[in-house]
Amino acid sequence: MADKQVRCVVVTPEKTALEASCDSLTLPLYDGEFGILPGRAPMVGRLGFGLLKMRNGTSTTDWFVDGGFVQVTRDGVFVLTDRLLKPDQIDKKQAEEDLAKAMTIKTNSQETHALKERTLTQARAKMRLAK
Amino acid sequence: MANIRQLDKRRKSVKNIRKITRTMELIATARFKKAMDRAAAATDYTKRITQIVQDLAKSGTDVSHPLLVARSEIKSIDMLVLTANRGLCGGYNGNLVKAATVRRNEIKQQAANGQLSVSGKKGISALRFAGMPIEHTFTEFDDQPAYDAVARIADSLIERYITGKVDRVDVVYTKFLSSSKQIATVETLLPFSSLEMPSADSSKAVSGSQGIRDDYEFLPSAGAILEEVVPASFRARLFKCFLDAAVSEQIARMVAMKGATENAGDLIKSLSRTYNRARQSKITGEIMEIIGGVEALG
Repeated sequence: MADKQVRCVVVTPEKTALEASCDSLTLPLYDGEFGILPGRAPMVGRLGFGLLKMRNGTSTTDWFVDGGFVQVTRDGVFVLTDRLLKPDQIDKKQAEEDLAKAMTIKTNSQETHALKERTLTQARAKMRLAK
Repeated sequence: MANIRQLDKRRKSVKNIRKITRTMELIATARFKKAMDRAAAATDYTKRITQIVQDLAKSGTDVSHPLLVARSEIKSIDMLVLTANRGLCGGYNGNLVKAATVRRNEIKQQAANGQLSVSGKKGISALRFAGMPIEHTFTEFDDQPAYDAVARIADSLIERYITGKVDRVDVVYTKFLSSSKQIATVETLLPFSSLEMPSADSSKAVSGSQGIRDDYEFLPSAGAILEEVVPASFRARLFKCFLDAAVSEQIARMVAMKGATENAGDLIKSLSRTYNRARQSKITGEIMEIIGGVEALG
């Protein structure tokens, strides 16, 4: 039967950043938060920028994930992201600068518009989580 | 007399050089191990990306993306050359510069435009000397390239490709085949072709850990996931080029320094022999003089 815990593996292009088990998991999907409990049906989802929360009993661990994907298989939850940061590792100043810079991008095509939107949401999510 | 002292001096300096090259060899060995570990750690990501692409393909998604489309008319070709920041690594930089020059001349016949970007001080100075206009230079990549910096380069290439400023992107780097073989290669990175696609009728339908086929749910949709997977995969691919280059550089340096240490050893041996011979003949000469003097007295 389904395990009591979710196995969560976070992979970045540089290394396997995190491998842990937890009772439940909350991920920032592209359109909002998404919770995963043990025994979740297989899925592949696009991630947004924001908070990855791992709950173990009463304690929770917070991480910032920088876009990417999540793949839920029967072996566990695999998160592929460019960066995995602790909230106190986020450079708030840099995020503010990025936001200001993204604001000035001129959009004259669909691609540049998408790029601008992406940078804006990324910077905003960083600023929200930064301490 | 002066000859003997000169020989001794020379032998001492060669000994010092041997000490230095041996140390450099040891450093390169340590760095090579580290770079190798990093390269190994990075394969997890590529594996998972490939897995997702395969799952997408199995679900019957039509795989198409602007980055995968080859242009019929090629007007502009970008080239990225990955060299080392430092020398003393044998033919490593020379081979890369040679490969880059050959490809550059080919490109010139095909397309009028295109930017040349070079990473590594050695390549920058060599190609600048050859009279090539270099658009971007990077010197921040050493034995441990950071993904963030590589991703920035990848993103700018993606942007140029999608907006039609460039029709093809080539990268010149040293490919790591095994720890005893690395070759300077030129690869076309964009249009992107290295997504490993299983053929549609392959018998891979039964896979997964328990031999049960997983029917994935795609959020928001398979197409939207693909749209993100392709650039991510491209970034990982370019990152792999940088990692390969870093590992190969350390191996090249290790081999070069090993050779230098061995050569210094041989040189010391032959210098010692000449020195000893000269010293012996000097002693013999002195004894002869003394004997001659004694005989003259007696």
